[in-house]
Amino acid sequence: MRNEDWKKISRLVSKRSLWMVHFCTGCGAMEMPPVMTSRYDMERFGMHAMATPRQADILLITGYLAVKTLKRVVQVYEQMQDPKYVIGFGSCTINGGMYWDSYNTIKDLSKYIPVDLYIAGCMPRPEAIMDAFLKLMDMIDKGEAIGWKKYRKYYDQYKRNQRMAFAYRLDEVKEIKEDDAK
Amino acid sequence: MMAQELFPQAQKIREGRIRIETTKDEVGTILRKLKENGYDHFVMLSCIDWINDGEFELVYHMWSYEYREHVMISIRVDRENPTMLSLRDIFPQIETYEREIHEMFGVNFIGNPRLGDFILEGWPHIPPMRKDFDTEKFVKDFYYKIPEVREE
Repeated sequence: MRNEDWKKISRLVSKRSLWMVHFCTGCGAMEMPPVMTSRYDMERFGMHAMATPRQADILLITGYLAVKTLKRVVQVYEQMQDPKYVIGFGSCTINGGMYWDSYNTIKDLSKYIPVDLYIAGCMPRPEAIMDAFLKLMDMIDKGEAIGWKKYRKYYDQYKRNQRMAFAYRLDEVKEIKEDDAK
Repeated sequence: MMAQELFPQAQKIREGRIRIETTKDEVGTILRKLKENGYDHFVMLSCIDWINDGEFELVYHMWSYEYREHVMISIRVDRENPTMLSLRDIFPQIETYEREIHEMFGVNFIGNPRLGDFILEGWPHIPPMRKDFDTEKFVKDFYYKIPEVREE
């Protein structure tokens, strides 16, 4: 069999066994319990929560992110092994949502880590979340969920944006060098 | 004893709401006295920026389960060089509120050893809850100017 075929089979199998990092921020954390438990029961899709990022496949960003939380999210994301997928929940991860003018929340998640799928809504209902999971499985099967490849390829751009956000400055690199000189 | 009997200068705003306006030096005494007289719940410490007066107002909120009464002790500190004595020896939880107000308004609490980064890590600008901090301008100049990741 060719290498491509193996990859196809591997994707076909792995889409039915997705483990998510139990990392909840913002109000989406409230929508997850019904999705995970018997009411909507995401386990029937082969998804379950995993205690450690190193053994997980999906990272759900369930709402707004303060810069301090973003540091933790980046740490968690980098600990996860390839292939890994990110779903952004609600308008907060798309454009800041109701926190569009907050001094401490990031506005566009895809500037800092690659996002495979966004769910619209504030907050998305469990039905929308289930729909997104099915869509993500479909994307994995077709080989369209390639956020983790993007993160490798444009690593320096993502890192530059992260450093800017963590320092609350656009010209962060210059400023830090000046501070070191002092 | 109820707050109005203890402090004659206390104003009654409405049933169950007492406001005491005082000075920096007397807050500690008043808090201690209230604590000994049944007002044993320190609710929170809040801060207001009165930019036109050039002052910050610090409000210590106390609650009594016995009298079901909310007492607000209000003081004014100078806005240019805001300092206040830490009162963490009376109620240990004041320490956390002081850390927050130090970060959000820049009030310096003398005697609090933990006035470092709290929620904002490495914030280089003026404290964000001050009235002269233009949040919208900061957001537009900073978050919206962070470049998108360009794919080739």
